[in-house]
Amino acid sequence: MDSKHKSALLFWLLLALFIAWDFKQSAAIDLRFEAPLIAAGSGKASAGAHCASVGR
Amino acid sequence: MASLRGLALPAICSVFFLAVAAFVSIRQAVLFLVGIGLGSCLAAARFGFTTGWRELVRARDPRGVFGQALLLLLASAMALPLLSQFEELQSAAGPIGVSLLVGAFVFGASMQIADGCGSGTLYKAGMGYALNIGILPLFALGSFLGSVHLPFWLSLGSMSPILLLDHFDAGFSFALTASFLIFLLLMVRLYVGPSRTWIKANWVYGAVGLAIFASINLILAGQAWGVVYGFGLWAAKLATASSLFDPSQNSFWGAAQHQERLRESVLLDVTSMTNIGILAGAYLIQQWKQRKDVKASTQQSQSLSAKQWAIALLAGLIMGYSSRLAFGCNVGAMLSGISTGSLHGWIWLCIAFCGTLIGIRLRERYGF
Repeated sequence: MDSKHKSALLFWLLLALFIAWDFKQSAAIDLRFEAPLIAAGSGKASAGAHCASVGR
Repeated sequence: MASLRGLALPAICSVFFLAVAAFVSIRQAVLFLVGIGLGSCLAAARFGFTTGWRELVRARDPRGVFGQALLLLLASAMALPLLSQFEELQSAAGPIGVSLLVGAFVFGASMQIADGCGSGTLYKAGMGYALNIGILPLFALGSFLGSVHLPFWLSLGSMSPILLLDHFDAGFSFALTASFLIFLLLMVRLYVGPSRTWIKANWVYGAVGLAIFASINLILAGQAWGVVYGFGLWAAKLATASSLFDPSQNSFWGAAQHQERLRESVLLDVTSMTNIGILAGAYLIQQWKQRKDVKASTQQSQSLSAKQWAIALLAGLIMGYSSRLAFGCNVGAMLSGISTGSLHGWIWLCIAFCGTLIGIRLRERYGF
């Protein structure tokens, strides 16, 4: 395996580890409060944060 | 054996999709697929905002910026009527002030040195480019630091976002957006001169694909496509977990919506999920190109010296920082801002292009 494939493999392994670690240490997900599949027409405003968020 | 290896990645993506659908949220699982679509379009079409601007300036080649203008036009044509029809959907509305001006200028310069904007860094990292893999974590760190300092930059002076849809209906807002785009293309025409080729297939199908997936993202997530927030969130989570940062003492991360993002899994964050999808989509395209024997080298076009590596990594850090000051990168601020009728998107475009003129000079100076 050459160095470019090693760096790509390392990158994906670290990303997978981060996601797994984050899933374990974050609050448990309650599926009863699942967001609607389609926000448009759901009557629920998006609860997500965007790059334009200013934190107020 | 090779065909089995080729099936491994789609299988991993399928398992991830099913796991997210079962244990997190069906919407988030579908947003992962949207991200794969976005990443596939970016990687297959080599749709680089940075490269398009550089080719325009250096070679007077308008094909890239024509593709970008087409993307903005198509995305606006879809987003503006949706936003006016469904009040649940939110524009990418950024404030206008010192933060935007400084951030956009510095971002425009640094993206040329790092050879990729937010989406460009993401899809190239997914394709296995070593430089972009190295830049990605620094971009995340910069994005986090920028968000921590954002309240200071906002205190230097800013005004509330200005949205076309607050003043006009969707039809007139689109007509205004299209008029501005045509004006920009006329300026480009004056710069490049006659007898230039304006249309290249990959830029066109890339623009169409990205506009469609960006619109699907808006419909499903309720917010416009963004990249940078997810990066900053990942770094903020690591900093918080390692007790290096107390979000409650910061007015950005202390806000309720960001506290919620820090508390929840990144799998529930819209931007993080599409970012993961973009990485996967770009990797899928890379694998497909290799199987089809299409030239898809993951080596840089030239090997970089240690000094060039250091400069590019520093540029990645600065790019992340400035992207938060500018309320996004080419995607979150320019594409999503303009297509959802926010004035800050237009200001971002003009100021970032001025920064790019400096960035190209710096890029040449350091031999990239």
